Amino acid sequence: MRVPSTVAMAWRNLWRNGRRTGLALGAIGLSVTLVLVYDSVLRAYGDWMTETVTGPMLGHAQAHAPGWRKDRAMDRTLRNLDAALGALRRDPEVVGATVRLYAPALAALGEEGFGVVVVGLDPAAEARPMGLLAGAPEPPRGKRVLMGRPLAELMGARAGDRLAIVGQGADGSLANDLYEVAGLVDTSVDFVNRQAVLMDLGEAQTLFAMPGEAHEIVVHGRDASRAAQLAARAAAMPELSGAEVLDWRTLSPEMVSLIAIVDVVWVFVLALVFVAAAAGVANTMLMATWERTRELGMLLALGAGPGRIVRLVLAESVALGLVGALLGAALGLGLVALTHRTGVDYAALTGTGPSEISYGGLRWSMRLYPTLSAVDVLRTVAAVVMTSLLASAWPAARAARLQPTQALRE
Amino acid sequence: MSRPGPAVRIARAGMLGAALLASTVPSGAAAAPPPPDVDALLDRIDDLYRSKSSIARIEIAVTSPRTSRTMRLQAWTRGEEDVLVVVEAPAREAGTATLRVGQNLWNWLPRIARTIRVPPSMMLGSWMGTDFTNDDLVKESSLRKDFVARIERRSEDPPGWWLTLEVKPGIVGRWAKIELLVSEERLPVEERHFDRKGRLARTMKFDEVKVLGGRRLPAHMTLTPADVEGQRTEMRYLDVRFDVRVPDETFSLSRLEQNR
Amino acid sequence: MAWVEGRYAARSVRRNVRRTSLSVLGVGVGVALALFMESVNRGREGLFARAAAYSGAGHLRVVAAGWRLRRDPRLRLRDWRADLAAARSLPGALVAAPRARAQALLAMGTHVLAVEMVGVDPEAEPRAYRFVRAMAEGRWLSPGETGAAVLGKAAADRLHAELGDEILATAVGPGGGIESGMFRIVGLVATGSEDLDASICQVTLEGLAQLTRTGGAGEVTVILADHRTAPAAKVALSAGVAPGDEVMTFEEITPEFKGHLDQDAATSRFVNGVIVLIVVLGVASAQLAAVLERRREFAVLSALGMGARRMVRLVLLEALGLGAAGAALGVGLGLPVISYFARRGLDFSKFMGSSQSFQGMVIEPVIYADVGPWIVPFVVAVALGATALASLYPAWFAARIDPAVALRVAQ
Repeated sequence: MRVPSTVAMAWRNLWRNGRRTGLALGAIGLSVTLVLVYDSVLRAYGDWMTETVTGPMLGHAQAHAPGWRKDRAMDRTLRNLDAALGALRRDPEVVGATVRLYAPALAALGEEGFGVVVVGLDPAAEARPMGLLAGAPEPPRGKRVLMGRPLAELMGARAGDRLAIVGQGADGSLANDLYEVAGLVDTSVDFVNRQAVLMDLGEAQTLFAMPGEAHEIVVHGRDASRAAQLAARAAAMPELSGAEVLDWRTLSPEMVSLIAIVDVVWVFVLALVFVAAAAGVANTMLMATWERTRELGMLLALGAGPGRIVRLVLAESVALGLVGALLGAALGLGLVALTHRTGVDYAALTGTGPSEISYGGLRWSMRLYPTLSAVDVLRTVAAVVMTSLLASAWPAARAARLQPTQALRE
Repeated sequence: MSRPGPAVRIARAGMLGAALLASTVPSGAAAAPPPPDVDALLDRIDDLYRSKSSIARIEIAVTSPRTSRTMRLQAWTRGEEDVLVVVEAPAREAGTATLRVGQNLWNWLPRIARTIRVPPSMMLGSWMGTDFTNDDLVKESSLRKDFVARIERRSEDPPGWWLTLEVKPGIVGRWAKIELLVSEERLPVEERHFDRKGRLARTMKFDEVKVLGGRRLPAHMTLTPADVEGQRTEMRYLDVRFDVRVPDETFSLSRLEQNR
Repeated sequence: MAWVEGRYAARSVRRNVRRTSLSVLGVGVGVALALFMESVNRGREGLFARAAAYSGAGHLRVVAAGWRLRRDPRLRLRDWRADLAAARSLPGALVAAPRARAQALLAMGTHVLAVEMVGVDPEAEPRAYRFVRAMAEGRWLSPGETGAAVLGKAAADRLHAELGDEILATAVGPGGGIESGMFRIVGLVATGSEDLDASICQVTLEGLAQLTRTGGAGEVTVILADHRTAPAAKVALSAGVAPGDEVMTFEEITPEFKGHLDQDAATSRFVNGVIVLIVVLGVASAQLAAVLERRREFAVLSALGMGARRMVRLVLLEALGLGAAGAALGVGLGLPVISYFARRGLDFSKFMGSSQSFQGMVIEPVIYADVGPWIVPFVVAVALGATALASLYPAWFAARIDPAVALRVAQ
């Protein structure tokens, strides 16, 4: 097979100058690796934020009776729960579906009443990792309820205390009963911790005179970014006809803003990281090529045409760029693959900082799962190759235009 | 959630004192009777249910687009501030009591044998899940003092007069205007409440005029908010005794906890 | 005899102007980039801190004793005027705004809405709470005016009320009694968040005092020039407030927020690490490339009798000079840019709308680049670090050259 001689020469040249080649490869490769590592962390951060935002309280989509979100009226309920849940759980896109009831009430240990919200929920469904009760000491059952820790502190309540709960049933009647505080919880949702008494759904339905009814169905799908489609599918189900089914972005635009702000800033930083990497690569290639003026002059003196010189240098640059970028990408991908399954503790990554923080009413556990998409990798590799190409073009062209004697003198 | 006020007070919003009219003999002539003196009329309405103390049995029915329920209560009042309300029916809530003394409000819940103090911030909303609000019950509002009234026109069916009451400047209250239909017996038949933008907000209708506690007055009131379909609250006096002696210990917390 | 190395280094630099300038340019651009990044990063830390502070939380707050345990809006400061004076005279304090709160029910006809009414000082409040500038209709409050209220648009909508309407406010008075008063809506605010707008009801301090029959302020909120000085400022202010009143930092008021700031700081460190690493990498490799080509030169020197140690010193001196020049260039390139953005700010609002609100905070997506004395040590560290790192290999390698081997023509 006849390989064009420029390319062959270029290749041989590269290997003849081991150190220079090694250096350039190192510079290019490491730059690519760093950019990819940063990008993967950026994506992981975005995923993590979305996960945490949608996880326990919001889910990916929710169903309510029309008008409930505006006035939170007790009697705006969802009926037909079993059928709706069955239909949802049978859908292949649905990973989980559960039901909740919200009732404003008065809670008292002694004589002093405190305004609370009784949240009736399905302990089995909510005890899963994505649920509200993940990490709770025991599930609420029968007359045993859980309280948010800050609420308990405010009221002076402890596990074992008897709590009177008074509220208004869905039919307007007076709902009241006594319960035992089974334990205190720190869920990842601030509102729950500060205001909620968590009760078994069946018990709540009895207390508030709404058997078989609830206020909210929470649905989790496979992918938070496809929540709108999930909501549309659910809305189309006959069992949910008449209900208002919305995805998390519509339900909580503020969460979307938060993620958007953080995203934009990180992407801006990515752009800068990229510029820095490109500058480094450019600098290296520029320098390397300038320093070869003498050598190139020798080639000129030996009869090589200027065009050939330029092509030679460019071929070397492309080869260097490609090989370096691919090596760097391989290293980057390797690092990402290593950490993708187990995740990386953010605190360890940054050297300090808490391993779990609370923000925006949610508790965020700080494990990131770096991810990369093929597009990211290709984009970076292509850009780096272009940069190294362009950076060596100028000095090569200049060298090629010199008189051999001039060049040799450098 | 029960948030009671003096149940009897509800009726203070626009009632005529029939007692004072007992002496007026309607003429048999076909000509319309002379219009009443507005000030005296409003005074009677303000005082129709007012007394130094009272004991009453009341039935309340709340109808909403999705549900409806009826309660029967017994209410004791003392002066302007103190009220005790005990639920008699439905059975599920029988024995539940609410005591208001001055600025304090307690609920007694027999099912769980607990007394709970209602925090003041939770007293601001609707009363016992009805369309009546706390300031319907608590405020010292007076038709005669707070409004400038005039007779608007004669009404044929039912025979009576329509009055227009416009709120005086500086008065604290929800209503900018009240249109009041008064029967020839000087009893309220209908009250229309207009909010501060001049929009009709709710309508109160009075009927079932009978003698209760020695006074002739409408025993049945219906309150209908203007912009909610299918929503209304009805209150019916089953019996009332005015200015009757109510023992002081009725309004004590300890008494509250005893089964009535 | 550093003198010889020094002169050689200087002459070498002069003789290879192109190489030198390229090196210096490389270092300079790298340093400028790193400088810009660090400056933006520091500014980003301020983004959320500012959002929280300017959304009513403030950096410091003077509160009544007992508020820490039970956040009852009815609590009042022992002597709010003295506290306000102390706050205003605190060095580093930009704004001090007194406030009083009350749980209230607003009513228009049969429509009701529960809100927390806030009595404010109309002159100080707009500087302490950003949303106030987002008046959709009407006007802001005037000092001393009672009977006027500014509502969030969504709150007015729920009441079916408009600008100019009179609404009834019922609040809990001292001793737990119910007090009422009328307020005219003089202004409507739209922050972009319906939840936030449905909870905004602001009146003057005097207006709230008249309604609740409770005078005074319940808190004095202080905004500082630099949120990082909050702990020290707290100590200073605590000494000046009336006895019985306490000072809290925003971290104590919303502890979950502190977590976010910590996380933000951690993020900054990570990002910085990456940037600096990349810059150093780029500079170092360019330097290495330059030096690698000078093997023959070093070989000649070695053949001429220059000892290994002196060769190393030579390389390092050159690196030092380059680094210094590069640092200067970097500052020259970078400082005007970050000064510009320190004034104007990097505006991200094109990507997401003019302001976002979250959890009761109004966030303006504008980052103000940070300019401060940290610049000099940072620039020096990056420039010298990069060039020194780059010189390690050549210095080692220069010291080991076998002249005979290196001087062979074939490279």
